[in-house]
Amino acid sequence: MTARLHRPPGRTVAHLMLWCWALLLASGLQVAAAQAPGDTHHAEQVAQLATAGFGEKERIVDALLEARHPQTRMLLAAFLDGRLASRKSDGKVFITEDADDGVALVDPVDASAAGTAKSSALRKIGTNNRLRKKLKGAIALFDLDDADAGVRLAAVDEMLRELDATTVSALRTRLGVEDSARVRRALEVGLALADLSSPDAEVRLAAVGTLEGELGTAVYNRLKTLERDEPDARVRDAALSGLRHIDQWRRFYGGVETLFFGLSLGSVLVLAAIGLAITFGVMGVINMAHGELMMIGAYTAYVMQLLLPQHTTLAVLLAVPAAFLVSGLVGVGIERGIVRFLYGRPLETLLATFGLSLILQQAVRSIFSPLNRSVATPEFMSGSWQINEVFSLTWNRLYIVIFALLVFALLQLVLNKTSLGLKVRAVSQNREMARALGVRSARVDAMTFGLGAGVAGVAGVALSQLTNVGPNLGQSYIVDSFMVVVFGGVGNLWGTLIGGMSLGVVNKLLEPWSGAVMAKILVLVFLILFIQRRPRGLFPHKGRAAEGH
Amino acid sequence: MKLPAALETFADREHVFEFMARGSRVPRLDVSHNVILYLEDITVAFDGFRALNDLTLYVDAGELRCIIGPNGAGKTTMMDVITGKTRPDSGSAWFGQTIDLLQLDEPEIAAAGIGRKFQKPTVFTEHSVFENLELAMAGDKRVWRILFAKLTPAQIERIESVLETIGLKDQRDARAGSLSHGQKQWLEIGMLLMQDPQLLLVDEPVAGMTPQETERTAELLLGLAGKHSVVVVEHDMAFVRSIARKVTVLHEGSVLAEGSLDEVQNNAKVVEVYLGE
Amino acid sequence: MHTPLLKTLLTERGSQVFLGVLIVTAILVPLLNLAVPADSALHVSTYTVTLLGKYLCYALLAIAVDLVWGYCGILSLGHTAFFALGGYAMGMYLMRQIGTRGVYGDPVLPDFMVFLNWSELPWYWHGFDMFWFAMLMVVLAPGALAYVFGWFAFRSRVTGVYLSIITQALTFALLLAFFRNEMGFGGNNGLTDFKDLLGFDLQADATRIGLFLATAFALGGGYVACRAIAASRAGRVIRAIRDAEGRARFIGYRVESYKLWLWTFSAVLAGIAGALYVPQVGIINPGEFAPINAIEIVIWVAVGGRGTLYGAVLGALVVNYAKTWFTGAFPEVWLYALGALFVLVTLFLPQGIVGLLARARKTA
Repeated sequence: MTARLHRPPGRTVAHLMLWCWALLLASGLQVAAAQAPGDTHHAEQVAQLATAGFGEKERIVDALLEARHPQTRMLLAAFLDGRLASRKSDGKVFITEDADDGVALVDPVDASAAGTAKSSALRKIGTNNRLRKKLKGAIALFDLDDADAGVRLAAVDEMLRELDATTVSALRTRLGVEDSARVRRALEVGLALADLSSPDAEVRLAAVGTLEGELGTAVYNRLKTLERDEPDARVRDAALSGLRHIDQWRRFYGGVETLFFGLSLGSVLVLAAIGLAITFGVMGVINMAHGELMMIGAYTAYVMQLLLPQHTTLAVLLAVPAAFLVSGLVGVGIERGIVRFLYGRPLETLLATFGLSLILQQAVRSIFSPLNRSVATPEFMSGSWQINEVFSLTWNRLYIVIFALLVFALLQLVLNKTSLGLKVRAVSQNREMARALGVRSARVDAMTFGLGAGVAGVAGVALSQLTNVGPNLGQSYIVDSFMVVVFGGVGNLWGTLIGGMSLGVVNKLLEPWSGAVMAKILVLVFLILFIQRRPRGLFPHKGRAAEGH
Repeated sequence: MKLPAALETFADREHVFEFMARGSRVPRLDVSHNVILYLEDITVAFDGFRALNDLTLYVDAGELRCIIGPNGAGKTTMMDVITGKTRPDSGSAWFGQTIDLLQLDEPEIAAAGIGRKFQKPTVFTEHSVFENLELAMAGDKRVWRILFAKLTPAQIERIESVLETIGLKDQRDARAGSLSHGQKQWLEIGMLLMQDPQLLLVDEPVAGMTPQETERTAELLLGLAGKHSVVVVEHDMAFVRSIARKVTVLHEGSVLAEGSLDEVQNNAKVVEVYLGE
Repeated sequence: MHTPLLKTLLTERGSQVFLGVLIVTAILVPLLNLAVPADSALHVSTYTVTLLGKYLCYALLAIAVDLVWGYCGILSLGHTAFFALGGYAMGMYLMRQIGTRGVYGDPVLPDFMVFLNWSELPWYWHGFDMFWFAMLMVVLAPGALAYVFGWFAFRSRVTGVYLSIITQALTFALLLAFFRNEMGFGGNNGLTDFKDLLGFDLQADATRIGLFLATAFALGGGYVACRAIAASRAGRVIRAIRDAEGRARFIGYRVESYKLWLWTFSAVLAGIAGALYVPQVGIINPGEFAPINAIEIVIWVAVGGRGTLYGAVLGALVVNYAKTWFTGAFPEVWLYALGALFVLVTLFLPQGIVGLLARARKTA
């Protein structure tokens, strides 16, 4: 919303010109004839701003509004942004714009360029909170007639904050000519809110009726006071039912939001666990350095950003394959250097890879720094998707969910459709037999481990978009990841997906009544109990082979 | 000797781990109908593959029964069911008249009087031969009793005599892991003897043995029959002939034929299964 | 093998060396601290005494881990939980002893509770003003947790790495829980600013010596107890379970009972180690629960040589001495060294230093 108000000056001017043009068309020569005296008056008012106190400034703003001079909006916007200044030498008022050599001046009356000045030669015309509020309202009044429906909508929203006779009449006028359905609805809501203060109970009742289906805070608060102070019982009842309605929807959207938070947390868990599901689930290798492989992925994203400081989006997109390669290669190194000597000795593997995780952490501390680093988020991932007044989804979380599903699908594809996948499954089911059939099992082991490690790296890139990147990044995920894999059922990628997602959702469902830390503890305790009830997880592998474990 | 005795009573009164034994105490074995093992309509399926398919089998008290059958006939799975390692999907398994095997877990079944020798010799490789036998010795196997247990002269004598029976007297203090394959098999049989079970399940006792070793093993098993009931799973037909009175042929998870070895060998169905179509 | 415990201890070389060194240290160190003047080269500073006491606590903890790992094959990544619980029980007693000498001077409430505006002592803090009760809790708290956890875990036959991972999860959950102020254990800061123990000033040299001796005594006692268990028939059953769990079941041993019993005993030992540790270092906070610490204990045992008990002690001393030295001289290098230790010991030294010595003696 604020982004809309602080529009770049170029666009403001363009809008303004459009507005002028429309006005000209509408009122023809009459307007043209009236322009000259308007200019003079406008100029006088503007000149007074240089010396006026805050009270006077408000009065001037009122006067400017009344005059409706074509440049007023530009002036007010500049005033609001603190870009209005008077020249110390002659007290003339200018709109200022930052320029290379000091400040560019713009004449507030005819919008013409008026040279440049040093910023020290100017005195800024100050505003206070009250004045800024007034200015916002005033600008909204102008924007109400803007050609862009989005701008009009924002203007209506702005005006709803404080309704008075002027704004109400402006809204009513606009409703008569408005053709965008959304803006019409906003206008109706605004007018209905105003009508709630009407002395006539019927009008108030009708207004409550109009407000039905609205979920915004302004409406809710107004209904709340109405329900308390309203003398007429019918109106009170209507307000009450309106409130209930809003509460219901809010609860619903709250639920959807929780679900979404849960899924996004679940996606992080799935991303963290899915590489582990390959190394631990398919190969039976405990890799305690899995978290550190994620950390390496996250640092790859960080380095990528250092290499391409100007191209945030490109850096993140390139970081995904790069992290896969870097972490994957480290993974192959780990398998060839350590893990292969310890096959069949899972506890020793656990210890050795844990030692490795310490080394990797310390290496990162030495190379980068023990401090956390932040990786910038590309523009398309920042901000949020406002679905309605009480419900919005943040883009980065939404993309994480999509990304997790994408990684999962790709991995399924690799394991089920490629020759590597075939070999991996063969070796994991019966190493001797696979070897007899000519599968080079050592090579397949290295590739599988590399694949799992690479996926961990990719997960690290995703994490870099959610949290800061630091040497301890991986450590905090290792327990969770193991829990997800074991919960879902070892050797079962679908189990990991469903396990991760459901753990995420359960965690977020618990959070409201138990707090975040308690929720995590409860989930851990639940998992500990669950594994003891069903040691093979949600989706166990059955059969003779599994019996042997 | 006063302190350990006092501790024992203390442990006795506490029964800290008593309630870990699920359900009621195991009833005494009752073989009044002269049948020691009832397996009825047992089915076990792994991922759709039926390892046992409505298997019904009875073993008489004191009998020595041989079970033969091709690979995958379900012999080992049957043993797993009897000893509580695998739970069947359906069917019933009774030990004598009173003991429902499906309600018990492995240690309870062992305590009830069923001993098992595995196909692959499994002895405790890090323990000495003597210790292996000591561990297998029948008696109260609860923690507190075992913690303060001392070998009585009678028990030592018993172990020594079993050592003699299985011919490992000279290896008394050797690490079990250092024994030869045949010696391990005997040690395992010796452990069964120490356990003194009513029913012994013996899985392929002569696999990988020399003829002399095989002969010795046959003697051992024959010596056991009568006092104990013995079920032997074996591939080696010569060995089966040397010990068996009654033979059961398993095929695809159920009983194909039963009778003396000669009867079974002349059974048309058995011939078909063994010699192919 | 079937000889009485005393004879075992006297004939086994490792035990001889360990108990001998422990007794000599326990006599010499106090003497050199109290009787030798501070400027003498032979003087052992109180700082060193406390440091040694700390090491001995670690050694006891290592014994506890070795008992379950080396003898029963249960790789615990959760022994810091028991250690910390014992430590907290002791810490709570020490907090109650502060009385009105705290910053806020409340006769009953510890400082952090006053700070949090609590008006009453939480129920679980009652009784900790009595030494005997606190000592009972040092044993009961870790023991009960281990018993309940083990009862579930062993009964459902969770073994191997699965068990390791859930012990780690347990520790992690406790770590998170103890970080919360609402838990009433001082949150992030833990319990500290202790004044005295049984009326003895914790800063006094004599108290330090006393704590050192108590630790040495506990370590010796713990060692003998573990040795006794290992030498008993139960010890042979436990090793049998380690080597062939299924077989042990089929000859009639209730494997889960044995594991549970051993596990609980080991947790109690760890708790006692924690209780002795806290007054010597002067603080207990949730950091003690950290899973990384739990894995570090395992590496002490691995470095020394598992399944021997004295190896665990040796490993704890060697690694911790190295840690003290490295973090003083080259703090950057310590984690590299520790990490490398994990890798190298598992790859090249599966029997640890003790195994190496045994091999050297055999070839010599």
